[in-house]
Amino acid sequence: MNVIEVEDVSKKFKIPHERKNTVLDAIASALSLFGGRRSTFEELWALKNVTLNVVKGRSVGIIGENGSGKTTLLRIIARVMRPDQGRISVNGRIAPMLELGLGFHPELTVKENVVVFGAIMGLKRDMLKRRIESIIEFAELKRFEDAPLKNLSSGMQMRLAFSVAVETDADIMLVDEALAVGDIEFQRKCLDRFKRFKAEGRTIVLVSHDMNLVTEFCDNAVFLSRGEVVASGNTSDVVKEYIRRVESQ
Amino acid sequence: MQEPIQRQDADSANTVRMSMLQYRDVIWILVKKDFKIRYRNSSLGFVWSLLNPLSTMTILTLVFSLLLKSGIQNFPIFLLSALLPWRFFSIGTMQATGTIAGNPSLVKKIYLPRYVLVLTNNLASFISFLMEFTALLPIMVALGMTLTLHILLLPVVMIIEFLIVLGMSLGLAALSVFYRDFYQIWEIVLQLGFFLSPIFYDPNIIPERYRFYYSLNPVTRVIESTREILFYNTFPTAFDLAIPLLIALLLLAVGYAVFRRLEPRFAEET
Repeated sequence: MNVIEVEDVSKKFKIPHERKNTVLDAIASALSLFGGRRSTFEELWALKNVTLNVVKGRSVGIIGENGSGKTTLLRIIARVMRPDQGRISVNGRIAPMLELGLGFHPELTVKENVVVFGAIMGLKRDMLKRRIESIIEFAELKRFEDAPLKNLSSGMQMRLAFSVAVETDADIMLVDEALAVGDIEFQRKCLDRFKRFKAEGRTIVLVSHDMNLVTEFCDNAVFLSRGEVVASGNTSDVVKEYIRRVESQ
Repeated sequence: MQEPIQRQDADSANTVRMSMLQYRDVIWILVKKDFKIRYRNSSLGFVWSLLNPLSTMTILTLVFSLLLKSGIQNFPIFLLSALLPWRFFSIGTMQATGTIAGNPSLVKKIYLPRYVLVLTNNLASFISFLMEFTALLPIMVALGMTLTLHILLLPVVMIIEFLIVLGMSLGLAALSVFYRDFYQIWEIVLQLGFFLSPIFYDPNIIPERYRFYYSLNPVTRVIESTREILFYNTFPTAFDLAIPLLIALLLLAVGYAVFRRLEPRFAEET
């Protein structure tokens, strides 16, 4: 069964040559319109006709150079962004780890942030109460549970985001380069937890530049380049293709 | 909790109702969060939100009863009965203006129907307003206000005002994602609104021919109704309530439409 279906998805970004995002700017450019000056922008297709299916319980790695559309694809799957063309369907609850840390509110404490995230993830109140302990435990942040999030190091924030994401009973986890800031010991722990997550029949989509991690961990891989799928399928083949391309440049 | 298949193009009144139920816990938790942040950074916390209207009341009372001699009996009550709903309107809309643009971590990192952010912010403002009102009520009574059963109608007026604030907030929050100076513009509009609403004067001083334009201000009738209940101890007529309710529903429809239209690009612009 497919838990994620991405059908022919395209996403366009408009990059203005001159940023106009105030009312004053808008009035100014409307007035100068009569003088013949128009605001110009460039179009960038971050994703072009991307099709991809993810089977339940599999882990998929998404690889590609910087700016190839990996993060945009994850954001679209997470419903944070909407595609300009094509359609997406997701069957199950998603725990996104987009960008580092959850960082919902730097002024709130670790515990309060966990509560906010857990609730958004759909945990019921009584369930949430029981989970808070195990989440903070896993993140090894017991000592800091009442400290405002802003006082935590970036590695600690990442650990918290990771534990919250794995402990909220999601069916699908989207991970965007999140492991990079953890120390080696925690990275090991994460990997073990990932494996358990997968063994429980859940699905992981992983964006990474760490080819060893992708090869070790992912069943399938997708290679994106300039917004298009260049290769997909068996992980080691796709990784080989990626490396071949990089070296031939 | 297993969700059905979610399609991105799902978009109907039904989806909103479903998500309202589904996100009930989230809404409540976010309201509490909002509340904590509002009062966390000052040890006096809530006391500030009482001192502010009280000092405005004292200043305006001094100006209007001693210097300008407005001739209105019991001016402090006359003023407070209008100042409190005005404060909810201005603080509510102003705080909500930045909820999308100022919350990139919630907008970009996880899916949550974005109207929830505006709604929870408004709810937190509403609760502040109710607390402010409850705390100031004894002071108003001490200053000579007569408390009558008319006050039972006040919740209706308050809910109508909440809907007005919500409708405007949705539009403002969406627009300020694309126009970053919207907050400053709205601040100026509110300053003007303070003088264009019957807060420190009786609306009857407005010349007849401007009356229609004057009454276009959505909060005018809310303020007048509140004052009728608290100050004049009379019931607002059904007409007095129906008009602001209609305005509220209209604003809500327009605000929500603007919000939905701009929502797909929120994550790109924040």
